[in-house]
Amino acid sequence: MRFDWSVVWANAGALAGGTELTVLLAAVTMALAIPGGILLALMRLSGSRLLAGTSAGFTELFRNLPLILVIYAAYYILPITVGVAFSPFATGLIALCLNVSAYNGETFRAGIASIRRGQSEAALALGMSRWQAMREVVLPQAVQRVLPVLASTWVSLFKDTSLVSVIAVGELAYTAMRIRSQTFRVLELLTAMAAIYWALGYPQAKLVDWMNRRFGVSE
Amino acid sequence: MSRNDTAAVVLTYRDVRKQFGDFVALAGVSMEVHKTEVVCLIGPSGSGKSTLLRCTNGLEIIDGGEILLDGCALPRDPRSMRAVRQRMGMVFQNFELFPHKTALANVASGPLTVMRLPRREAQDRAAALLEKVGLADKAASYPANLSGGQQQRVAIARALAMQPEVMLFDEPTSALDPETIGEVLSVMKALAEEGMTMLVVTHEMTFARRVADHVVVFERGAIIEQGPPKQIFDAPLVGRTREFLSHLGWAG
Repeated sequence: MRFDWSVVWANAGALAGGTELTVLLAAVTMALAIPGGILLALMRLSGSRLLAGTSAGFTELFRNLPLILVIYAAYYILPITVGVAFSPFATGLIALCLNVSAYNGETFRAGIASIRRGQSEAALALGMSRWQAMREVVLPQAVQRVLPVLASTWVSLFKDTSLVSVIAVGELAYTAMRIRSQTFRVLELLTAMAAIYWALGYPQAKLVDWMNRRFGVSE
Repeated sequence: MSRNDTAAVVLTYRDVRKQFGDFVALAGVSMEVHKTEVVCLIGPSGSGKSTLLRCTNGLEIIDGGEILLDGCALPRDPRSMRAVRQRMGMVFQNFELFPHKTALANVASGPLTVMRLPRREAQDRAAALLEKVGLADKAASYPANLSGGQQQRVAIARALAMQPEVMLFDEPTSALDPETIGEVLSVMKALAEEGMTMLVVTHEMTFARRVADHVVVFERGAIIEQGPPKQIFDAPLVGRTREFLSHLGWAG
C-alpha cells in the first residue's frame, strides 16, 4: 500500500474551512445550550408542575434519542412543521442544541442540588427573593462546580458535530469525506481528520481542566 | 444585667407551635424580647431553640400560634416576609458565607442586591463593618482562606449590613475551634453593649451568664423556665434546669 499525503496538502484550504465551521458549530451550540440547560434546570426546580413536567419531558426525549436521528428529524420534519426551510447549518445547530441542552439541564440540576440548603437560606435571611438567591448565590457556585462536566460535554460535542455531515453541513467531517470520495485517498483523509480533531480537542480539554483548578470552589 | 420591662417589645411569641411530621419541635412557646435586650435560649439539643429562631425569620413556617415583630404578626406571603426578614439579621452555626465572594462582597451583598445601594456606598458600608468586627485587613480574602472565627465575624458583619432591628444568632460558636470562640463572643458582647436587640441560641453558658438580660430554658419544645441569668444559673426554680446545667458541668 502506498500513501499519497499530497492530497491532504492540496486540499488544506478546504479542510481549514471545514475545521472553522466545526469550531463555529460547537461554539454556537454550547453558547445556546448553556442558557438552555440553566433554563431547563430552573424549570425543573421551579416547583411548578407544568414547568417541571415540560422540562423533564424535553430532557428525557432528547437525552434518550440517538443524536443522528434528531439530526435527520430536524432536517426532514422541521421544514414541514414550521414551514421555513433552514440552511443545513441552522438545522444541524438546532439538533445539536436540543441534545446538548438536555444534557446540560441535567448537569445544572445536579450542580444546583449539590449546593447545601444553608447557602440559599443565608441569602433569603438577608431579604433576597428566591430568584435573587439563585442568581447571586446558588447558580454561580453550581456553575463553578459543574465546570468539569460541562468540559467533557464540550469535548463530546466537538466530536459529535461530525454527525451533522449526514445532512451536508460542510464542516470538517463532511469536507474530509467529500475529498475522499473525489480522490479515493481514504486512509490519508481519515488520518488528517483524526489529527485535526485530536489536535483541537486535546488542548481544549486541558484548558478546561486548568480553568477548573483555577476557578474551582473550595470551602 | 437585668431585664428592663419598660422597654418596647420587639418580638412576641404567643403559643407558637411547629411540627416536623410526628416530631413536635415547638409545643406552644410564649415569650417576649424587649428592645436593646439580649435574650439567650439554652437547653438540650433538639429542644426547639433553633426552630424558634428559624420560625422568627420565616425560614420555617409555624403551624400554630403567632409571632409578632413590633406588634405586627409575621406575614404569610413571601413578598411581605422578605420585607420583614430585612429587619432581622441572622447568623448561622455554619457561617454560610458565600464562598465565591470575598469577605467584602459577602458583607456588601445584602445592601447591593436587596437594598439596591450604589456599589460604592455598599462597599463603604461593608468596609466599615469589617473594620468594626476587626477584619479590615481581610476584605479581599475569600472565606476558604479565613479561620472559622474570622468567617463567623464576617457573617455577623454581613447580617449587620442590612441595619437590622434585631439580630438572631443560631449557635454561632458551636462549629468553632475553642481558640476562636472568644473573638466571636467579644464581637457579640460589643454589639450587645451598643444596644442591639439580640436573640441568641447558645451553649456558651459563660456568655449567657455575663451578657444576657434574660435567659430562656427549653426542653422538648417548651419553655421550662425563664428569668434573669442570676436566677437561672444561681438559683433555678425548676429542677430540670439545674439538671441540664450540671450536665454541662456548670458549677456557678
